Amino acid sequence: MKYVQYINSLIKSQVHNKPNLVIFGQNVNAGSCLGGLTSGLSVQDGLIINAQNSENTLVGIGFGLMLNSVSSIFFMKQMDFLLLGIDHLVNTYNIVRQANPSASFTIFPIIVDSGYEGPQSSLNNFDDFCSIADIEGYSFTNKEDTRCIISNHLVKPGFRVMSTGQRLLQEEVLDIEILYREKDCKYFQYSKGENVSIICFNQALPYGIELRNVMFNCGISASLFSINSHLFSDYSLIINDIENTKKMIVIDDTKSKNSIRDHFISDILDRCILERKKVILRSSQESNYYPCKDTLEIDYQYIANYFLKK
Amino acid sequence: MGLAIYNNSEKQKNLNVMKQKDVGIIKKIIWLRLAQILVNNRYKNGDFIIPIHLAMGHESIAVAVDETMQEKDGLFLTHRNIHYNLARIGSLKKELDEYYLREDGLSGGRLGSMNLSNRDKNIIYTSSILANNLSVGCGFALGNKVKKSKGVTFIVTGDGAIEEGSFYESLLFLKSNQLPSIVIVENNGWSLATKIDERRARIDLSKLSNALGFEYLLMQQNDPYDYLKKMELCRFKAIDSKGPILVEVELTTIGYRYENNNSHPDGKFINYHGGPIQQLEEKMYPIIKDSNEDPLHQLINYLPVKTLTSISNKLRNKLKVEVL
Repeated sequence: MKYVQYINSLIKSQVHNKPNLVIFGQNVNAGSCLGGLTSGLSVQDGLIINAQNSENTLVGIGFGLMLNSVSSIFFMKQMDFLLLGIDHLVNTYNIVRQANPSASFTIFPIIVDSGYEGPQSSLNNFDDFCSIADIEGYSFTNKEDTRCIISNHLVKPGFRVMSTGQRLLQEEVLDIEILYREKDCKYFQYSKGENVSIICFNQALPYGIELRNVMFNCGISASLFSINSHLFSDYSLIINDIENTKKMIVIDDTKSKNSIRDHFISDILDRCILERKKVILRSSQESNYYPCKDTLEIDYQYIANYFLKK
Repeated sequence: MGLAIYNNSEKQKNLNVMKQKDVGIIKKIIWLRLAQILVNNRYKNGDFIIPIHLAMGHESIAVAVDETMQEKDGLFLTHRNIHYNLARIGSLKKELDEYYLREDGLSGGRLGSMNLSNRDKNIIYTSSILANNLSVGCGFALGNKVKKSKGVTFIVTGDGAIEEGSFYESLLFLKSNQLPSIVIVENNGWSLATKIDERRARIDLSKLSNALGFEYLLMQQNDPYDYLKKMELCRFKAIDSKGPILVEVELTTIGYRYENNNSHPDGKFINYHGGPIQQLEEKMYPIIKDSNEDPLHQLINYLPVKTLTSISNKLRNKLKVEVL
């Protein structure tokens, strides 16, 4: 099953029994329905609206619905469209949050990370949106973290943003076993190793899986984590793991210069003694603003060799 | 276009048949003025650390909205909201306490002035950000549709905010989704320190309404009965047409200052925007301008000044007791 079909089935199961739910966004119920993400949705006594092209206003509408105790989901074709709604993410949410609304409002933008989009459209700075007003945010990449996050947060009272990458949507759903899930789905652990801890941010888990496999072939056993929440959390379990391995690899594919990754690393440097570390980030090159591949270029074998050294 | 205001003989007739409710409207307008004068005096005295935007000159529209609103209606306001908040709650103490950021304040001292709302009185949301409240009001109106509520959503904005894209986007949404609503543009001709013709081309809101396919109504001259009659008509039409009605209210925000700088060595007239009004002569009947720019001037057409002064004295004394 393609990942987009899987997410679509999870969304369907969450929304069809939720009374008075409003689902809105451009083309949510027309054409390809956002590449299949929102196709075939149905709601009970609610509305599905193919909305006008007014992202700023549409974000405000979600908060207005909340103030009227009506839950909603705003699906958005590209995360950069959310830039137009920043006033509401900050100014409106700062008022609405005071009322502790019983309704749910979720904004679900797709991160356009399939590459060659040119200087616009490929914004993936999820951390920036969350940081700007302490907004709950979740990203997901695989079968189990997607199931946990959508079933726990999609229509939960309160406001949040959740997203995944377009590149993964048309691929087969990534089915990877989970060892541990933080209770609010803020992070997940996929394997337990003795030699190194790999921590993946944003949409970087597939890179982490590849690196873990290459390292395993070199005789290095790695713990593998993904950080799914874009707000800083209590990472005690991961810190304990790093204290044990004393070696850390961080992979982050965000373009944000304001990532929770930096808070995480400073926390680790405060609390752990590291024998070896590697931070893999997106390079800051001018060519990033031209049509180009959107993937990280990682020499997995080089990294494995580095961690093999005595 | 706006309906004709009453002629003198009609006013005399109205005066003769004035009912208790009608006198209540006059009292409410005078009370709103007196309450704002009291706030202004304390503001001048340095009592408040928060910014407050007074709305002397806006009393007639606030009373018309308050009198028109029904149980399930919602009101969405801007940074200049004192007139609506006071009209809806009908007392000053709680609002004053909010301005002092006290726990006893209307919102427990957590909203201050520019974001002051009052859910108990159907003031759902107030924003200090230009045009921000429009789309939130749209969402509330959409919620009414989902819940099959009969409420009408009132959204107040200004001649500065209509320059923002959200104004157009919101009107389009209200019309496209058939949401009974009244969008009230308080046009005082100023945005901070610039007049309309200093910053933009004229916007003909009647043509904009026509282009989007809903009705437009102009209100001028501050006659409270005329405003009330028109606002009730707008509410009826919003429900009947299942869509928005755009109301433009021409008014003057009373107060001014002169700005002296190199470009204007003799001083440039700047209409009041916010803060305390320094030059305010207090009269027994608290009229400020001898023209229809002042809603209290319109009241003279309905009751003798002696009666209005007597009403003012009673209300003033009551206010003093309330806020002691």
